[in-house]
Amino acid sequence: MPEQLQPAPRTDEVAGFGAVVVRVAAQVLETMFFEEAVASACEHAWLPTAVTVHVSFEGSHRGEFLLSVSPDTARTVAAGFLGLEPEELTGTQASEVILELANILCGALMSTLWPESALSLETPELAIAEHAFLGGMHCCFTLPDGMVAVSIGVSSGDGSSGDGSA
Amino acid sequence: MPISVMIVDDSAVMRGFIRRVLTLAGFEVSECLEASNGEEALAGLEGHSVDVILTDINMPKMNGEELLRRLERDARLRSVPTLVISTDATKARILKMLSLGAQGYITKPFSPEALREELERVLGEKNA
Repeated sequence: MPEQLQPAPRTDEVAGFGAVVVRVAAQVLETMFFEEAVASACEHAWLPTAVTVHVSFEGSHRGEFLLSVSPDTARTVAAGFLGLEPEELTGTQASEVILELANILCGALMSTLWPESALSLETPELAIAEHAFLGGMHCCFTLPDGMVAVSIGVSSGDGSSGDGSA
Repeated sequence: MPISVMIVDDSAVMRGFIRRVLTLAGFEVSECLEASNGEEALAGLEGHSVDVILTDINMPKMNGEELLRRLERDARLRSVPTLVISTDATKARILKMLSLGAQGYITKPFSPEALREELERVLGEKNA
């Protein structure tokens, strides 16, 4: 499971990270999952019941990415992606779509944050809820049916890392 | 005009999404072959001809880079245009895949319109 990363925050990086995550996550969710996501204040009481996915990345930057999606939102997002009604989905399909969402979102964020870098992503894996918040760079979103949380912890690479909420 | 496609991705839900988006983008798909890695794709293309191959990069057993190398070495399959669909939008990766023989590259997330535009360009080059 992911270790707790302890990034050193820098205010300018926090603001830049927050803006990128909000823009990229909204774009990913709207373009491929047909959901409107709005950045919201962090409220994490729902995290213990979330569907959480962990992705490690390495290369010019090394770290971890976590995506948590509230259960109702996971079904709605999966249904939108597959063109099905939520009640038609199997649990496996819903999990596979959230794994794919994590893969797409992590890749899009890495490419946007560090476009000149060479990074490889590990295969996304379902994680347990207690690891849903890395304590690093973090944003929460509200969708019509619930919440989405995104966290990134950078443990090495260009020597910079950030912390904060957007 | 109907098109036949081979979709190569280790995610079954992603293959399903691409199938659906092809239809949403206005393509009439006459035949849709699917594979979860490069090995399966090459096996599926034995004795089959498709108009275009859509492939992911990161896959087990045989990834997209090796698939492109194998296609380039195959006299029959070399002429089949290949469109890479990947989360990796870094310049280095895009240039690498194009240098290996891919005719197009589209990054996730992508809209049906973006896929149609890139696919029409790739198919247009083939028919030019």
